[in-house]
Amino acid sequence: MDVVLKISRFDPGMDTAPRFQRFVVGVEPNQTVLDALLCAWRQDIGLSFRRSCRSAICGSCAVRINGRPALACQTLMEKAVAEGEPVTIEPLPHFKLLKDLVVDLEPFFESLKAVVPWLILREDYGGRMSPEVARSLEHPATCILCGVCEADSETSETLHPAGLVKALRLARDPRDALGAHRIRLLQVPVEVLRLFVRELPDKCPKGIEITDDILRRGVT
Amino acid sequence: MIMHEVLIVGGGLAGLMAAMNVSGKADAAVLSKVYPTRSHSGAAQGGFNAVMGEDDSIEAHVFDTVKGSDYLGDQEAIEVLCSDGPRVILDLERMGVPWTRAEDGRIAQRSLGGAGFPRACFAADFSGHVVLHTLYEQALKRGVKTYPEWHLLEILVDKGRVFGAVIYDLARARLEVIRAKRIVLATGGYGRAFLKTTNGHANTGDGMAIAYRAGAVLSDMEFVQFHPTTLYGTNILISEAARGEGGYLRNALGERFMAEYAPGKMELAPRDVVARAIFKEIKEGRGFEGHYVHLDLTHLGERLVAERLPQVRDLAIRYSGVDPARVPMPIEPAQHYSMGGVRTDVWGMTGLEGLMAAGEVANVSVHGANRLGGNSLLETVVFGARAGRKAAELAPGEPWPDVSSNTVKDALDRWNRLCLAPSAHSRSDDDQFAVRREMATIMTNQVGVFRTGVELEDAVARLEGLRKRYRDLPVPVGPQPFNYGLMDYIEVGHLLDLSEIIARGALARRESRGAHYRLDFPQRDDRNWLHHTFAHTTDRGPEFSAGPVSITRFQPQERGY
Repeated sequence: MDVVLKISRFDPGMDTAPRFQRFVVGVEPNQTVLDALLCAWRQDIGLSFRRSCRSAICGSCAVRINGRPALACQTLMEKAVAEGEPVTIEPLPHFKLLKDLVVDLEPFFESLKAVVPWLILREDYGGRMSPEVARSLEHPATCILCGVCEADSETSETLHPAGLVKALRLARDPRDALGAHRIRLLQVPVEVLRLFVRELPDKCPKGIEITDDILRRGVT
Repeated sequence: MIMHEVLIVGGGLAGLMAAMNVSGKADAAVLSKVYPTRSHSGAAQGGFNAVMGEDDSIEAHVFDTVKGSDYLGDQEAIEVLCSDGPRVILDLERMGVPWTRAEDGRIAQRSLGGAGFPRACFAADFSGHVVLHTLYEQALKRGVKTYPEWHLLEILVDKGRVFGAVIYDLARARLEVIRAKRIVLATGGYGRAFLKTTNGHANTGDGMAIAYRAGAVLSDMEFVQFHPTTLYGTNILISEAARGEGGYLRNALGERFMAEYAPGKMELAPRDVVARAIFKEIKEGRGFEGHYVHLDLTHLGERLVAERLPQVRDLAIRYSGVDPARVPMPIEPAQHYSMGGVRTDVWGMTGLEGLMAAGEVANVSVHGANRLGGNSLLETVVFGARAGRKAAELAPGEPWPDVSSNTVKDALDRWNRLCLAPSAHSRSDDDQFAVRREMATIMTNQVGVFRTGVELEDAVARLEGLRKRYRDLPVPVGPQPFNYGLMDYIEVGHLLDLSEIIARGALARRESRGAHYRLDFPQRDDRNWLHHTFAHTTDRGPEFSAGPVSITRFQPQERGY
């Protein structure tokens, strides 16, 4: 099918503000927005956008599709195409725009450091962990640091959701010396964290779920 | 000019593991053309082989690997891989890797192809991802300097010793020279040379091609692994863990056809055996719609699929529209891994002084003619760590190599003309996308699972033609930030160099061994071909020579499953 893409363009050397450029691309319905972007790129080799794994595990191709932050490689064209409407593709909001669909990721990666995002091994850890506890760590560990949560959250400038996910995962890790203390160290009100955890699965392209029992442990 | 005692190129598992082991002992930096957490290591699903249980043994792991390699793996290197494995897995555990656990709380293990024991440590089917992110956390902790989205263009060599590198900074559209005492390449594979591949867009063989141009030796490049199970059409990887957890392969007649090809191991035969079996079924008319077979997990139950294979399930639902807990997945083989690479010893040292390599870019060689599932992730962390340790031991005591100002000036002039000046070439009708597509089509159709002399000869001739066309292509001009067109142009050049070496090596090797299968020479021929292939660059193109295989404990025998 032929589809019209409205792709946001911005060249820092020439433009003062982003503008849209229309592309007509031929794609199969089961192809993704990333496939469509690659078609557009073959028409205009100057178009800039990040991509790498094309299977939703690296997070490179996070953009705004029809107004909503998402991974281009995870969004099927048949879902993106509304009746007769072009598909609009823009850079992630809340990030500094550098060129076309490419945004500045440095502050995002920098923001992780605030939560001390590494395990501090308990001296008395004996090397075993129950399968249930391990499973509860697995799912939050699937965060791919794509930045979609940061772009999708109105409070992201103060909260930095990707860092919170890391902190909440480490907080429940029985190997970690800080453990549940990490919740208090975040200095985020527990009601805010509870709301964050509740909304996360809908905003996160990986649908990350964190049960909120850890929050109870953090405040007691 | 930037200076680092050890410059690590590549921020995947091997690169970050190397960085961790240098950190605190010498000044190190990691350069990557993507952000480190976006490295392709993160896409690995299945697991890390390591002997953890009392019933298993290092010797058994060594034997499985030697046999899996079709006796082309260096046994000295394989001993190192298997012996270092358990220690490294426990190190990763103490860094915070959320391994899946057995009922008794120990790290759980699953079966992958070609192994005589459930030997792969894993975290559901996100094994590569969670270890990559854990190592990234450790890199943050240790304050490892990273240069994301900096592309290696050239390794600078003077009087046979590496002294630095030319870099293109993608965001700022400028060139930079980094001086280094040692460079550790950890840039991964070249899957994008093939049309059908599980590899991401970044896997363009840059490190291999750049090292080769600088004078390092590539070895065993004709051995290319084709993963048996990728989603039909998109070639998105469906982990071997799906078979490890009990999945069946079925043809259009509903038969579990592996009974014909590997009755002892069935679906858990090594990848080369399974990939050939699937192709043969399709070729002989027993594929669905003539193109694919089924990977059937429906008998495993929803709970197991959800717990052990959540990513496989998501990928299949999203990209093939089938829920594998209920409906079999359509699958076909596709290029997956490069057994060949920059020749190194067990410490990551290449023949070029100052240059080291680890991971898929390297050829130690622990995989020989065919790699077993779970051994490449282990290789990245074991040999990444060893390369880092060696670099940390050597670099502080080494004098800074002399900078050859002529070499630097020549290189900068050349790259300036290409990257930053208007194209000197006249506009042609040809474009780099067309050249790349033709190359990848040739590689998949003629240098794939089944090979013949006639097709390989034709492939070599056509790849040479593509190289001529490449030289006349218009270069996407700069300067502009995030000039992906220019990077793609440079990457196509790397892929063309490597494709030619792969095809020539495959044409020369007149036998079948592991993943290299010649229909016109279907037997393994130890008398003439039990040796490595070394490729050297010359003014006339690649030249090949033979190198000995290290055989210590296990004499070659017929390989049956």
